[in-house]
Amino acid sequence: MAAYDKTGKKQDERNATLLALTSSALLLPAYQAAQADAPPEYTELGIRYSKYAEDDIPGRRAFGGGSERYDIDVAQFHLLAPVADSWSVALDVQWEDMSGASPWFVGESPNGDPKVIMSGASIEDSRTEVSVTTRYYFDRGNAGFNYTNSEEDDYDSDAFSLDGSFNSADGMRTYSAAISASDDQIEPTQGSVPTNTLKDSKDIRSAWVGVSQIISKRAIVRFGLSYTYREGFLTDPYKSRDNRPDEREEWTLGAGYRRFFEDHDAALHVDYRYFDDDWDVTSHTLDVAWYQNLSNDIQLVPFARYYTQDAAEFFDVVADTSQEYYADDYRLSTFGAFTYGLRGNKTIGNWTLNATAERYKSDEAYGLYSGDDAPGLVDFWRYSVGVNYVFK
Amino acid sequence: MRVEHSFKAMGGPCRIRLDAEDESMARSAISAAVAEVERLESKFSRYREDSLTARINRAAGSGEPIPVDAETVALLNYADTAWRESAGLFDLTSGVLRRAWDFKSGCLPHADALNALLPLVDWSLVRWQEGAVSLAREGMEIDFGGCVKEYAADSAAAKLREHGAACALVDLAGDMAATGAPAGQAGWPIGIRHPLEREQAIANVSLSGGGLASSGDYERCMLIEGERYGHILHPHTGWPVRGLIAVSILAPQCLVAGSSATIAMLKPAEEALGWLQELGLPWFAIDRQLSCHGNIAAG
Amino acid sequence: MKYITGLLLVAALCGCETVQPWERGTLAKAEMQWQPDTMEGVMRAQIHASKEASSGGTGAAGGGCGCN
Repeated sequence: MAAYDKTGKKQDERNATLLALTSSALLLPAYQAAQADAPPEYTELGIRYSKYAEDDIPGRRAFGGGSERYDIDVAQFHLLAPVADSWSVALDVQWEDMSGASPWFVGESPNGDPKVIMSGASIEDSRTEVSVTTRYYFDRGNAGFNYTNSEEDDYDSDAFSLDGSFNSADGMRTYSAAISASDDQIEPTQGSVPTNTLKDSKDIRSAWVGVSQIISKRAIVRFGLSYTYREGFLTDPYKSRDNRPDEREEWTLGAGYRRFFEDHDAALHVDYRYFDDDWDVTSHTLDVAWYQNLSNDIQLVPFARYYTQDAAEFFDVVADTSQEYYADDYRLSTFGAFTYGLRGNKTIGNWTLNATAERYKSDEAYGLYSGDDAPGLVDFWRYSVGVNYVFK
Repeated sequence: MRVEHSFKAMGGPCRIRLDAEDESMARSAISAAVAEVERLESKFSRYREDSLTARINRAAGSGEPIPVDAETVALLNYADTAWRESAGLFDLTSGVLRRAWDFKSGCLPHADALNALLPLVDWSLVRWQEGAVSLAREGMEIDFGGCVKEYAADSAAAKLREHGAACALVDLAGDMAATGAPAGQAGWPIGIRHPLEREQAIANVSLSGGGLASSGDYERCMLIEGERYGHILHPHTGWPVRGLIAVSILAPQCLVAGSSATIAMLKPAEEALGWLQELGLPWFAIDRQLSCHGNIAAG
Repeated sequence: MKYITGLLLVAALCGCETVQPWERGTLAKAEMQWQPDTMEGVMRAQIHASKEASSGGTGAAGGGCGCN
């Protein structure tokens, strides 16, 4: 076997004639076809069951001793099917069943420590989300339309979104954009605790733009910018000391990176998100995952996530109800959270079995921002098992 | 498993080899690739009465433009780039010169006959705009043969990829395009033929993607009074060129490899060797003294 | 932060070698996609939105739910 020079030269070092011939050739359809967006080749079907259990709230953080929190069961169904030559349709259904107690408000104990008053009687709720997406694929990209309905005893949401992706002529870069609108109705169930409203609504409008760029044969990067506007009843109806502005503007800046390592037969995922809103919440999220392919069609995916946020301006550990806006919801507090987990996939013919376990721990001390420790901060374990099938 | 399919197209023996786990997938990929080659042949062959090429040529000089599709326009644009980059050597209108040369006869053409044809060889008289093409002078002919076989190899390989083939080789009578390497190998092993001993490889390359194209001037030629007249004709003089006798080039596209090899064959030997070196692609060439050149080693 | 992200963006979009369509096999692998597992993505987004004050960032925001 003879050796020869591979043309590993960078483009600008290449001969002008070769560049002219190559760029002219690449406009022919044979070289475009390889980068054309196409619907999935086969129908895919998946079902999954997940359970996540919030840790009990310890006695030192709650009045009336330790208390259990939410246990949530989730069942998911996913179907993606090609339709004709250039369409696909996807159906995603998610059922959630939650039971347990949640923080009602935070008060000050006799020694000055803030403690949570839990909602007491067990809350039972279930949610059904149905999402349908149709997607059209053309030579240089694809466009999708989605409708999602989410229904609970006390909450009903209808959301529409449109998205599109467009590839540059050489297929190295993809521009994407999406817009969405939702109309949500809130009608709190009357029972265990008095509610902040009897019936209300909110609207969500959102837009996102992104660009992804191939940077080598084994690496790709993506940047995205989003804007979301929420208007209406944004207060938590079940928390007694909660009154939030009726408008919220949110911005996110995101970056993602994927790189494949042939030596290890593994892919690295890194994602970062910066979030900022006009409630003064700022957050940073870093997600890292390692997709390790092993023999016998096994894939192991260890993953980790770090999240840190600064509190909303109207948040106080013990809410000051004399203010115009106030909240003691731990979700609006200053805190940090670590997640670590492991997912395994095993493929047998057309079947893929998967299982995931993850741990989420949050604490004021984990955060990059300084603030007061909200006693209601939550930790949880999540387990998922599922199976996917491809109709080959 | 390996699936092989041999067929005849573009005036020569063709073969597709494909490694796949699923034979029915392999068969459907191959039939799509063969259909693609046949589509391009029936569209561009100048021998077929009903081809686009034949219609364009029949309308030469009439002033009536023949409507063409985007693929043909892209191919014309490519041929135009090659013509400009080669200072007029690569010229799809030079086929008319064959009317004066009969390589079987053993006779040189009459100078008058050749001179009468020369005005018909002029790429700048091919006009295409707004999706229609015309040849400005009566008797002119366009011949996509100078690039369509190479393009068809790439296009067939693209069809194989589209149908899920991860490892395949398309061979259209020596113009090759690969997609992926066979398991455990760097690429598809390909021997470059010795110019005189046809069954012997003078060099070996391995192809895992892109294309390999060769141009040779040793198959059809005639000897008159000890002088060798090859079939590659210079578009400006109408006489056989006296450059290299064989060139093989590897490129990301078989099309680019093929036109580069054609251009190299049309240049005087010394100039061609320098030009190939500068081009920056892997190449192999044999001169009239049967010396080997290029960054692909002989042996 | 915005400034740094901007710089990264410019750097990433400029210094790239051309990767030909047939050289994109690795990039097309399932584990190289932005979200290789749709159900996992939906579930995690939902959980995080119900525990944290931030959400979204990988597309336009959908509707809300009673959990936040």
